[in-house]
Amino acid sequence: MTNNILEVYDLHKSFGELQVLKGVTEHIAKGEVVSVIGPSGGGKSTFLRCLNLLEVPTSGQILFDGIDITAKGVNVDLHRQRMGMVFQHFNVFPHMTVGQNITMAPTLLGKKSQAEADEMAKELLSTVGLYEKLNEYPNRLSGGQKQRLAIVRALAMEPEVMLFDEPTSALDPEMVGEVLAVIKNLVKGGMTTVIVTHEMGFAREISDRVFFMDGGILAEKGSPEEIFGNPQNPRTKEFLGKVLY
Amino acid sequence: MNILMNVFKIFTKYWDMLLEGVGMTLMLSAIAVAFGIVIGIVLALMRLSNFKIGKVKPLGAIATAYTEVIRDTPLLLQLYFFYFLIPMIFPGVDLGKIFSVALAMSLNSGAYVAEIIRSGIMAVDKGQTEAARSLGLNYQQTLRKVVLPQAIKNILPALCNEFVTIVKESSLASTFFAGDIMTQYKTINSITYLAIEPLIVSGIIYFVLGFTLSKAVAALERRMKND
Repeated sequence: MTNNILEVYDLHKSFGELQVLKGVTEHIAKGEVVSVIGPSGGGKSTFLRCLNLLEVPTSGQILFDGIDITAKGVNVDLHRQRMGMVFQHFNVFPHMTVGQNITMAPTLLGKKSQAEADEMAKELLSTVGLYEKLNEYPNRLSGGQKQRLAIVRALAMEPEVMLFDEPTSALDPEMVGEVLAVIKNLVKGGMTTVIVTHEMGFAREISDRVFFMDGGILAEKGSPEEIFGNPQNPRTKEFLGKVLY
Repeated sequence: MNILMNVFKIFTKYWDMLLEGVGMTLMLSAIAVAFGIVIGIVLALMRLSNFKIGKVKPLGAIATAYTEVIRDTPLLLQLYFFYFLIPMIFPGVDLGKIFSVALAMSLNSGAYVAEIIRSGIMAVDKGQTEAARSLGLNYQQTLRKVVLPQAIKNILPALCNEFVTIVKESSLASTFFAGDIMTQYKTINSITYLAIEPLIVSGIIYFVLGFTLSKAVAALERRMKND
C-alpha cells in the first residue's frame, strides 16, 4: 500500500473540440494539502472536478485509495461519499433548514441515525459559529455563512479528502476571512485537502505543495516557497507577477 | 337595451342548461389535466432518462417526437382525428363522443404538461445536483430529495395555468356537441335564433371561470414564493 490517497495518471478532458486537460499525472498523499493556482481557463477547476468524477475524464486513470474509480462498473457514489466537495457558489439546499442540509446525506445513505446526525449537525455548526442558525433556512444566511454551512455539510459525511473549488471567489471581500479560517482549521486537523484558489497568500500559508496549472497541464509544482519565492517556469512568473502586484 | 334584456332572459331561462355546460367544461378540463399529468410525467421521465442504444436515446426521442407532433398541430385537428379513429379501433363499441374528446384533450394536455415538468426540473440550478452527487447521493436520490422538491415550486403554478388554458380550449369540444359551455351556446342559439346574446352569456361564464382560476393561481404562486 502506498501512502497516496489520490493518484492521477495521464488525465485528459475535452469538452467537444476544446481540450481542457492535456495529460495530468500527479499523486496526492494522505494528509497532504495541495493548492491549485493558475489563470482562468487553465484547467484548475476541471482537474478538481475530475477527482470526484463530477466531470468524467475523456481518458486517463484516477485511483482513489488504490481503487481505479474511472474503471467500468465502479460505483462512483460510494467513493464520492468519502470525498467532500465545496463549490464556488455554495450550492446549499434552499428547501432544507441548515440542520437538514447537514443531516440529509448521512441519514439517507445510512451512515448515521437521525439522532446521531442531529447531534453531529449541532457540533459541526458550533465549530463554524452557526449553531443558532440550526433551524433557519439558507436564504437567511449571508454568503460567508452559506459557504461555512456547505463546508460542514460535506464534513458530515466524514470524508477522507476535501475538494474546494474556488470557495471564496463568489464572496464579498469582508466574508472571505471567515471561510478561510474554517478551511485553515480543517487543514490543521490533518484533512487531506485539494483547493483551487485565487487567494495566493492563503495558498502559500496552508499548502504543503502548490500546483500551477496552465494550458491544461501542471506547468509547475513545488513547495509554496519554491512556487511563490522562486518560480522557474516563465508562465508561473508572469502569472504571479500579475496577481501579486 | 334589448340585448341586455335578452342576456338577462337567457340567464334566467336557460340557467340549468348553462350550469350543465359549466359542469361538462370543468369535467372535461379536469380529466384532461389529470390524465395529462400522468402522461406528462411519463413523457418527462422519458426525456430525462439516460437509457441509450448506441448514441441514441430512444425513449427521449419518442417523447420528443410525440411532444412536437402534439404541440405543432391544432387541437381541433386532434379532436377530429380521435373522433374518427376510436370507432375504427373499437368497431361496434359505442364509447361515445365524450370519450374521444376527453382522450384527445388528455393526450394533448400531456404534451404540454411534459414540457412544464421538464422545464421545471431544468430550471433547478445544476449546482444543486452537483452538490447532492458530490455527497454520494445517486441519481434517483438526488432527484427525489433535492431536485423535485425545488422543481415542484416551478411546476405547480404552471400546471394550474395549464388548467385555465384547457378550460378555454375545451370550447372546441362543442364541434362535436360534447355538452360543454360552448355547446350550450349553440343550442340556445338554435332555439332562440339569437346570436350575440347567448355568446355574451357564454363569454361571461368563461370569463368568470378563467378570472377566478387565474386569481387563485396567482395567490398560490405568491404563497409558494414566500416559503
